[in-house]
Amino acid sequence: MQQNTADFASLHAHYSPTFQDSVGIYAEDNWGSDWRFAGVHYNRLLKRWNAQHSQANLYVKAGAGGAESYQGGDSELAGFVGVAADWETRRWFVSYEARGYDLGFDQDARQSARIGVAPYIGDYGDLHTWLMLQVENQAEADTPTTVTPLVRFFYGVQLLEIGYTPETDRFLTNWIIRF
Amino acid sequence: MIRSMLIAFALAGLTPAALAQSDAVSAADAGETVVAKVNGMVCDFCAQAVTKVFGREDAVESVDVDLDNGEIKVAMKPGQTLDDAKIESLVRKSGYALVAVERPSA
Repeated sequence: MQQNTADFASLHAHYSPTFQDSVGIYAEDNWGSDWRFAGVHYNRLLKRWNAQHSQANLYVKAGAGGAESYQGGDSELAGFVGVAADWETRRWFVSYEARGYDLGFDQDARQSARIGVAPYIGDYGDLHTWLMLQVENQAEADTPTTVTPLVRFFYGVQLLEIGYTPETDRFLTNWIIRF
Repeated sequence: MIRSMLIAFALAGLTPAALAQSDAVSAADAGETVVAKVNGMVCDFCAQAVTKVFGREDAVESVDVDLDNGEIKVAMKPGQTLDDAKIESLVRKSGYALVAVERPSA
């Protein structure tokens, strides 16, 4: 999974031994708050609610590794913890995520929320399209709050998101491939 | 003479009884189809997870997911099946909740 947002870019490769757990490596370059992080990542699905036409999930996540500041200095031991929740039907999508970082030389936090709607309902295997709005808040960033309209395309094992953040004049691109 | 005998044998093979027997053999060859009604399947990643988990079973010939109706249609190999407990286990392992199991061809 690759993300490129208003404040950061990240790369996440993970393996899921069960549907509830995934372990992998995670790297993030956060120009909003001027730091870089690389380490291991664990994601746990705490609870899933399966309903006839919807699904809701509650996740916790944690990472540990090293971080360095744009201002220089040695890499320091660093870590993060986070929570995430989502609810989706085949038409609607809502999600929220919050993360806190201890970078050794500094601390940081960010949260984001999304709402999305599918303009049409495709069958399994079709190209699926979602129109979404993302609000992100990172207190330490030069532009703490951003709003990003984006389009999600979902086809086969691939998910691609393209958006634009006017506040930072940056394009958002997220790409997920699932093996 | 030989040609007449061949035609007679060919016609004998097309009697209603022979056709019915042929259909029964085809049905047995096709294997059982099981439909699992499931809650929580709302996206293609869900369908892919289900297809992967069921597809690993030796008894399974093919898997078809119907997201509109929340159904997993599992075609079994001839002479093989999965009992309800196993199907529930596979659905749970995929991350979803089993509502009912139907066996239309039973």
